[in-house]
Amino acid sequence: MDTVSLLNGFSPAVIPPEAEALRAPIKAFLADWTLKSPPHRRARSWTAFDRDFSRELGRRGWLGLTIPAQYGGAGLDAFARFVIVEELLAAGAPIAAHWIGDRQSAPLLLRYGTEAQRNTFLPPICRGETVFCIGMSEPNAGSDLASVRSRATPEGDNWRLSGSKIWTTYAHEADYMIALVRTSGTPSDRQAGLSQFLIDLSLPGIAIKPIMLGTGDSDFSEVHFDNVLLPGDALVGVAGNGWSQVNAELAFERSGPERIYSSLVLLDLWITQLQDQADDSDLATLGLLLARLASLRAMSLGITARLAHGESPIIEAALFKDLGTALEQDIPAAVANAVSARPDRAIDPELLRTLAYLLQLSHVFSLRGGTREILRGMIARGLGLR
Amino acid sequence: MDNSLLVDSFQRLLADAAPLSQLRSAEVLPGAPACWEQLEASGFLDGMVPEALGGAGLSVAEIEPLIAAMGACLLPAPVAETMVVRFWSARAGFALPPGAVVVLAPASAMVPLARHATHALVPTSGRLDLVRLQALAADPFRAGGAPIGQGGDVEGSLPADGIDLLAVAAALLAARMAGAMAQMLTMTIGHANDREQFGRPLGKFQAVQHNLAIMAEEVVSARSAARIGFAGLDFDSVRSAIAKARVSEAAHRVCSLAHAIHGAIGATIEHDLQLYTRRLMQWRLAFGGETYWAIRLAKARLGQAEGTSADFVRSSLQSEG
Repeated sequence: MDTVSLLNGFSPAVIPPEAEALRAPIKAFLADWTLKSPPHRRARSWTAFDRDFSRELGRRGWLGLTIPAQYGGAGLDAFARFVIVEELLAAGAPIAAHWIGDRQSAPLLLRYGTEAQRNTFLPPICRGETVFCIGMSEPNAGSDLASVRSRATPEGDNWRLSGSKIWTTYAHEADYMIALVRTSGTPSDRQAGLSQFLIDLSLPGIAIKPIMLGTGDSDFSEVHFDNVLLPGDALVGVAGNGWSQVNAELAFERSGPERIYSSLVLLDLWITQLQDQADDSDLATLGLLLARLASLRAMSLGITARLAHGESPIIEAALFKDLGTALEQDIPAAVANAVSARPDRAIDPELLRTLAYLLQLSHVFSLRGGTREILRGMIARGLGLR
Repeated sequence: MDNSLLVDSFQRLLADAAPLSQLRSAEVLPGAPACWEQLEASGFLDGMVPEALGGAGLSVAEIEPLIAAMGACLLPAPVAETMVVRFWSARAGFALPPGAVVVLAPASAMVPLARHATHALVPTSGRLDLVRLQALAADPFRAGGAPIGQGGDVEGSLPADGIDLLAVAAALLAARMAGAMAQMLTMTIGHANDREQFGRPLGKFQAVQHNLAIMAEEVVSARSAARIGFAGLDFDSVRSAIAKARVSEAAHRVCSLAHAIHGAIGATIEHDLQLYTRRLMQWRLAFGGETYWAIRLAKARLGQAEGTSADFVRSSLQSEG
């Protein structure tokens, strides 16, 4: 890919009116809810888990927007989902319970699942009732994902699964996991011989242990599979095709507004407190952050247009995510710098709580969904350097 | 919007009329550039003039890729600026002097390309005066820029019509800068693939790959911001603020990475890279740098008490005028 085609990959896109029409209703719904939840809670956004909230979104038709109506979705395009997700994230709504299912599992099952899998799993995802997680990393396979060792072996019509997953977001709350595991060969075979399974987490032989973070939250878990008997129809797609199936998800996983808005609640809280006391240094800091936000939002929309056309722009998504998570990390750092510029001035307690949370967690923003180093390697390869 | 055919033909015109190989001679020859006649004959200078008045009726958004193309080849002529002034003049029923090569001259410590112009559009009270340029100071960047002081013959004037001349000048310059930075990325990728050290191309080293990835990120982000400067039916100070703040902020990082990857050869007079660097460094500080525009952008945000910053960014693209 040369520079010109890279830039063309982010051609400006405008949200179509029918998608934009979804904005006012969800804004109205979120306005009531926002008043009840303090900023330091809302700053958790897509890592905050609330089944009732997700069910309410499902009842209102705001989940499964891109899933065809015959499977319980709204049958709309990627722009419709962009609008809904943008509003949920900007408000800091607790969306973790449906997040993985709505963003990744449902599109994956729609594309690679059997008709029976679609009929079974897509409607409850669209209703916000079934919680999914994604089993990728393992204790010895982090960024080097192709070295996964969890293994499923055929046993008659069924499969036997043993191994471990780690850093699985909300596995301890989830109903199902879609896991990438080895079905043939050895870890030295790398991408070949990997497959995806849809695993009922209530099956015997599965142990799930939440991982406690320094923030006091438990967003992730460790999951152990000890000779778990999986039915034959737990296989998703084609055995051995897991790597390319996982890669098809990456553009969805890395291109959305969740890669730029994770610190937005903090930014907006700081702005409300700046109103009467901003100096030029505060303004310069804020303005540069807003300019980056505007450019990133335009980039995300450009990628959304390509997703809506059925493309899978994974290099563009990697580039966007690396830049976007840098902004999400720079916002708490910049706010911390600004509020500490005048040590004689007290810091509002709610701002401090929100800031404290993000200053701890924001370092993870560039890890989840693929680290900077992995993304930059992909971009370089995309530019024809390897 | 798909005007790729238009952009392609404009790029061919620029490659023919103003190849980069002639830029060094243009640097030592002030005044209207040699390519001007050919550009005039092409009709592009009237690109924004309404079709009913003999132009091509291009929208603000449609000229952005043309300006990026001017940046990519470092066109030593204020074509974008003249296009906009011809549009405003046509709208006001004012005839520009024949052959006028016009820069926009809001109060600014530096006006890029002024030494290659015949006239400047200067804001006065409620109007925009067309001033014939006199001898200008030498440009320490040797990029054809100069400060424009008071004085000079006024050869006409336009109603200001609510035009924020500084915002328009900044948007035009941001697009030019974004185009120049994209070309620097292309040159740097080429160098990384060609130049060998330790028995392999530079591009095989992970440290170099990551620096190129960062450079690509800045270039894409800058171009996205530049496009925002042209996103409405007309120019707008908030959109210009987004564009010039982000593009100027990116310029330093892009130049330093390009030079880091090229090594010292990139700074030599024979090498094209320094032609880009000298201009980008000048353009960064012309018409307000990132801090100036960031402060204006932040003030606009603080002035909009309702809504989130996502709402602010979105509405800045929607508000017209």
